[in-house]
Amino acid sequence: MHPAFSVIFFTVASGAGYGLFILMALAYLLGFVDFDKGSILTGGLLSLALISAGLLSSTLHLANPKNAWRAFFRFKTSWLAREGVFAVLFYPVALLFLLGVWVNTDKPDYNGLVAVLGLAALALALATLFSTGMIYGCLKTIRQWNTALTPTNYILLGLATGSILFVLVLVLNAKPVIPIASLSVALIILAAISKAIYYIWIATVTGPTINTATGFTRAQVRLLDTGHTAGTFLTQEFSYFAPARLRLMLRVVVFVAGFFLPVFCVGLLALGLKGSWLAVLAILAAFAGITAERWLFFAEARHVIRLYHGAQHT
Amino acid sequence: MKLGLVIDLDVCVGCHGCAVSCKQWNTSGTTGPLTDYRPYGEDPSGVWFNRIRSYEVGEYPRNKTINFPMSCMHCEQADCVDVCPTGASYKRKEDGVVLIDQDKCMGCNYCSWACPYGARELDRSSGTMKKCTLCIDRIYDERLDEYDRQPSCVITCPAHARHFGDFDDPESKVSQLVRERGGYTLMPELGYNPTNRYLPPRVTRLIPTDDVSKKSLISSVKEWVNKAITR
Amino acid sequence: MSALPEFERRGQQEVKATTCYMCACRCGIHVTVEDNQVRYIQGNRDHPINKGVLCAKGNAGIMKQNSPAKLNSPLLRKPGTARGAGEFEAITMAEALDILEARLRKIRETDPLKLAYFTGRDQMQALTGFWASQFGTLNWAAHGGFCSVNMAAGGLYTMGHAFWEFGDPDWERTKYFMLWGVADDHASNPIKIGLEKLKRNGGKFIGINPARTGYQAIADEWVAIKPGTDAMLALSMLHVLLKNDQFDWEFLIRYTNAAQLVVHTPHQVGHGLFLRDAEGKTLVWDMKLEASTDASRPSITPALFFEGEVHGKPVKSVMTLIAEAYLDEQYAPENASRICGVPAEQIERLALEMAHVAFKESIEIEVPEGWTDWAGRKHYKFIGRPVSMHAMRGISAHSNGFQTCRAIHFLQIMLGTIDVPGGHLAKPPYPKHIPPAIKPAKDCAPNTPLKGPPLGFPTGPEDLVMDANGKAKRIDKAYSWDAPMSNHGLMHMVITNAVKGDPYKIDTLMMFMANMAWNSTMNTAEIQDMLREQEADGEYKIPFIVVSDAFHSEMVNFADLIIPDTTYLERWDTISMLDRPISEPHAACDSIRQPVIKPERDVLSWQEVQIELAGRLGFPAFTNPDGSRKYQGYKDFIINWQREPGIGFLAGWRLDENGNEVHLRGKPNPKQWERYVEHGAFFEMHLPESIRYYRHANKDYLEFAKHAAWVGSTNQIVIELYSEAQQRFKLAGQGLYEGPMPTEAHHKERLSTYFNPLPFYYKPLEQCRIDEEEYPFYAVNQRPMFMYHSWDSQNAWLRQICAQNFLYMNRQRGTEMGIPDEAWCWVESHHGKIRVQVKLVEACQYDTVWTWNAIAKQKGSWGLDEKANESNDGFLMNHLISELLPVKQDALDNVTNSDPITGQAAWYDLKVKVYLAAEGETGTWPIFPVIKALPNAKPSPDVLRYQAHTAVNLQRPLQDVLQRGSVHDQQWGQED
Repeated sequence: MHPAFSVIFFTVASGAGYGLFILMALAYLLGFVDFDKGSILTGGLLSLALISAGLLSSTLHLANPKNAWRAFFRFKTSWLAREGVFAVLFYPVALLFLLGVWVNTDKPDYNGLVAVLGLAALALALATLFSTGMIYGCLKTIRQWNTALTPTNYILLGLATGSILFVLVLVLNAKPVIPIASLSVALIILAAISKAIYYIWIATVTGPTINTATGFTRAQVRLLDTGHTAGTFLTQEFSYFAPARLRLMLRVVVFVAGFFLPVFCVGLLALGLKGSWLAVLAILAAFAGITAERWLFFAEARHVIRLYHGAQHT
Repeated sequence: MKLGLVIDLDVCVGCHGCAVSCKQWNTSGTTGPLTDYRPYGEDPSGVWFNRIRSYEVGEYPRNKTINFPMSCMHCEQADCVDVCPTGASYKRKEDGVVLIDQDKCMGCNYCSWACPYGARELDRSSGTMKKCTLCIDRIYDERLDEYDRQPSCVITCPAHARHFGDFDDPESKVSQLVRERGGYTLMPELGYNPTNRYLPPRVTRLIPTDDVSKKSLISSVKEWVNKAITR
Repeated sequence: MSALPEFERRGQQEVKATTCYMCACRCGIHVTVEDNQVRYIQGNRDHPINKGVLCAKGNAGIMKQNSPAKLNSPLLRKPGTARGAGEFEAITMAEALDILEARLRKIRETDPLKLAYFTGRDQMQALTGFWASQFGTLNWAAHGGFCSVNMAAGGLYTMGHAFWEFGDPDWERTKYFMLWGVADDHASNPIKIGLEKLKRNGGKFIGINPARTGYQAIADEWVAIKPGTDAMLALSMLHVLLKNDQFDWEFLIRYTNAAQLVVHTPHQVGHGLFLRDAEGKTLVWDMKLEASTDASRPSITPALFFEGEVHGKPVKSVMTLIAEAYLDEQYAPENASRICGVPAEQIERLALEMAHVAFKESIEIEVPEGWTDWAGRKHYKFIGRPVSMHAMRGISAHSNGFQTCRAIHFLQIMLGTIDVPGGHLAKPPYPKHIPPAIKPAKDCAPNTPLKGPPLGFPTGPEDLVMDANGKAKRIDKAYSWDAPMSNHGLMHMVITNAVKGDPYKIDTLMMFMANMAWNSTMNTAEIQDMLREQEADGEYKIPFIVVSDAFHSEMVNFADLIIPDTTYLERWDTISMLDRPISEPHAACDSIRQPVIKPERDVLSWQEVQIELAGRLGFPAFTNPDGSRKYQGYKDFIINWQREPGIGFLAGWRLDENGNEVHLRGKPNPKQWERYVEHGAFFEMHLPESIRYYRHANKDYLEFAKHAAWVGSTNQIVIELYSEAQQRFKLAGQGLYEGPMPTEAHHKERLSTYFNPLPFYYKPLEQCRIDEEEYPFYAVNQRPMFMYHSWDSQNAWLRQICAQNFLYMNRQRGTEMGIPDEAWCWVESHHGKIRVQVKLVEACQYDTVWTWNAIAKQKGSWGLDEKANESNDGFLMNHLISELLPVKQDALDNVTNSDPITGQAAWYDLKVKVYLAAEGETGTWPIFPVIKALPNAKPSPDVLRYQAHTAVNLQRPLQDVLQRGSVHDQQWGQED
């Protein structure tokens, strides 16, 4: 699949944003960490900024954005519509929740309402993240995506990058980081394991072949002519498949920058080492690594239409 | 009704007649124009609803060349419709024809990702997705005579390799062809259950030669005895 | 069912019937026009040729009509600029015609031979040929010489018809069909329609072709033959048939000259000619009379095999000669296999399969009313041998194509499949007597029409068009010792000969619809140089070039005067039975074109230009006794001109003595054009069943044909297995002829070697003059089905399908040579080299490479951007092919690279070597300079959004969007 920058940026940025929000809301609700309005606000705004930037970017790939408002109509069947609906619903709830935290009184009823808002926002964020994963995961045409690992990875990577952002927010607000840093390390390792399983899983060739695509199953089938000299929408959209060396290199980037470096940096913080630069380095590395991961997610995905253009299998 | 096409691979010579006929009807049709990019320049390209690819099956000298036209299969399990967030893509209740409402499409390409058969192509100028309409603007047009109420590709096909009809009707031409010739669907394992079917190449009959070969072959003119045949 | 909107603007639309001209197939079309724009072009279902279907070319007519390469006005090369530099000034049509008239008048008054007039893919040779003969020049021909004259000549000299326009397989009944060579060119839709019928009826389709592409793709069996060796395959199959005693005795005795007696006196004058009686009649040996007798008599009992002495002369029957020739071991399958590359087992099996189908699956059609043979005897059934064949360019474009074509016809005749049910059927006005009784005109004089047409059918050396010294009289050297039976001329030699002044210099070269500066010429680069070549005084060697075309072709760029033609949708035109008719085997047909679009340019159809010039120059046939013009224009001419009383260009709706409308023969009808328009732009007259078969010997048919002026006599058309005409030329070469004979050794050798009364295989000429080890690959080319015989490789839709051609090579062979798929390679012949991109495929014979022809375009031509793939990645094989034989420093160095019998351009004799280009060497080579845009050219659009009207969108109601769940809900398919 052609890796479109707008979509890569969208999923990486909004994934981290939702991850951060989920973890923060959870931490707040569980009283897991002691953090102040400043941290909540910084974190909340950061997550909303990332989510908004991502969503805006995602509309860039629309060829006819004037009809984008129609994208919510098919909630019943379309994960893309669901993502849109959840994302839009998330905003008011999340903002109200943040406002509630900001105003903060000691009245139990009030706090109860804020907690409900927090829970709702958290659920919507999770639903959006899951929907994003399912946009890809539901496509039977791309075996590299059509797996429960796809939404799992989207959620885990969102949470992992979000957790690093959470650590960064805490560090910047000079709050204790050890519990969240420890959680972050766990999440990053979990995401890394999940991604590793994914890479192992997609290495096994299954699914349609050029033989089942054409119906000629008893002999070797080769493409003679595509019927057009230049590229078409189909070749532009579906033909790209990264060369093996690049894929290997990028996988190294994914694991070194996306997982190892953040675990190392955040791990040091979890061990009590001080230094905001560690959190900054962790998040920069993570973004680089996850951008590579997302690029590969597209570049390693082989749509079945490729079979009709001569690929022997997907 | 379940309308769709049968494509006969035994006789498709790969002339591209159907594809170009589709192009000329539909560029002025209900979802037209079918934009062309750089029509006189480098790498000319454009929106087509029907493309013909050719494959080679087997190895020289026992290879076969198969010409393979592909357009929208009007699947029973049309994921392209389900994934569409705007509702621009839909499958008609009446006849199962899958269409895109050009006024509602936002050009997100998502439906094209869900289509295993490459049936959907984005028109970059209108920003909307376009695809085979099964000539919805012909097949119900009562001002056309009955034969002409068929998709343009079917009417034009010089080898009569394309047939249009109702797959729900067991007596229709398409249903009969599928029964008699073993019509098959592409990539059935994906579960889209395409309506369009492909007829495999026929198996050639064996022609006996023992009744025309002589045991002792003639080696010179002298072996013939003239027959008395009146001119 | 929910109501649908009105999608079409019916009030603004008009549907008109006319004839397609996207290639030479001439299908009937219905054109829907809206505001002078084409909405839709659809096949005409009633039309005899295409029966409603239409190919990719026909469907792309909109993009031809809207091509930015259309010429907008007449153009004159700017004084002082070089030819080919592309500097033109726009002039008016009136000015253009004045210039042309003055030039032509002077030539006609002095030396008409100074005009060479050659036409390309036109379909009005009856008109242009008539014009040339009225002008008085011998130098006229159409493009048949570089197209398929071998097929026409091979058939017309053997059975009085041939393939394509002359005959078709009986698609309804044939059970076994053999397609020889590249044939996706002519009869585009009829063959596709026919192949489907054949396969639906359970028939077997054998494809014989070095490449498995096009129609061959759907063949039940592919025979991967080496190019140019088909005669060996055909004659080897004939060998097998003879060995197994499988041939049609009755057919040979009744309908062919197989039993006729040939004088057998080797090395003597008269050897190999028919034994004739005092009246000049050929003879057979009658088994009952035990004496020789007039071969044309009915109810005799000829001996098919005979050898003996008659009238004091040793004689052999034709069949005896045939058996002797083809029982020879050289034609045994195992020996033939070494030449043609087809396994011996396959050769034998194919021959026997044909025999089985012909003789064990024969067809009998009952004719209750009976049919009458040429002798007046009634028969009540037609016996059919359901084996049929088709061949075209692939066989034709070799220097052994004539004999190969005859060899294929031999198979058909031996099996008794000619004009019988299930076999190969002639199409009216064919069959003709063998050969057609027209001889080429020989003499010309100032201001005088020729005595006959410039082209005809020689039957002996006395019919050649040469001066007393044996020097060619025609600029293309047709009908000279170089190519005695060149019935279509040698258009591919015109420029070379004119520039060399061999046989003489000309003044004006006038070309219509011919791209002789690019893909229609051999040796493209040097031909372009020749067009620019000047004398010492600065005069061009071809002083004046006139080109008529509708589009900005490469040839247009070399014109001094450009007359812009209309497109096929903008003009009146005829497809006449005097010309290249559209008849079907069982129906006599012709057709017209009518304008459906009004041209908004200063253009004039070449038809009108012809009539206008003929009037201005005062051609006798176009002038009244008082000197005034006889015809007001093209339409008037077509209706009123008569070749003989009652016979004109159009056969339908003529008038009898009482003014009633009749067909085929009758007086001119002023309403004739209207009648054609009313009847869908074509005329079709079905033949009654009793005259549908055996027409070469069918009395009722022959009388009908004579009435229609298709044949000159009602005598039986005796199929000529043995060709005496061939033998006369052979004897001339051997010095044994009583008549003109060549004086030069190479001519003698040419005639005595290649002319033969019975077909035989010989290695193509080019291949005998090069080192075949150095050039191991056969190299052939063809046009893809969606462009064949079409101008339209620049068509905005068709070029998307193919804008770059590749050199196809057998995958196994490429792998052995270390050539990877899509590698850039050099391809080199004895004549030149080109750089091309190779594609490895299965569908290519092991020793062959091939490509799509004429995809490449010169930069800037045809309205294309100079970055167009055609000009940068596409290539012409033409650069590798010389119009002359490979140089060997002998007398043949300057002889045409053509069939030595017919002058057919030997495009497919080419042999090449292929090797990898160096690292970084990509893109095609050679590259030609960019052709300048014409002064009034319209710019080519970057984005094209063609539509005849704004689209009416089918709205999905919002309610439906919101209510209806997944398609998986199974709600669709249920009526509301």
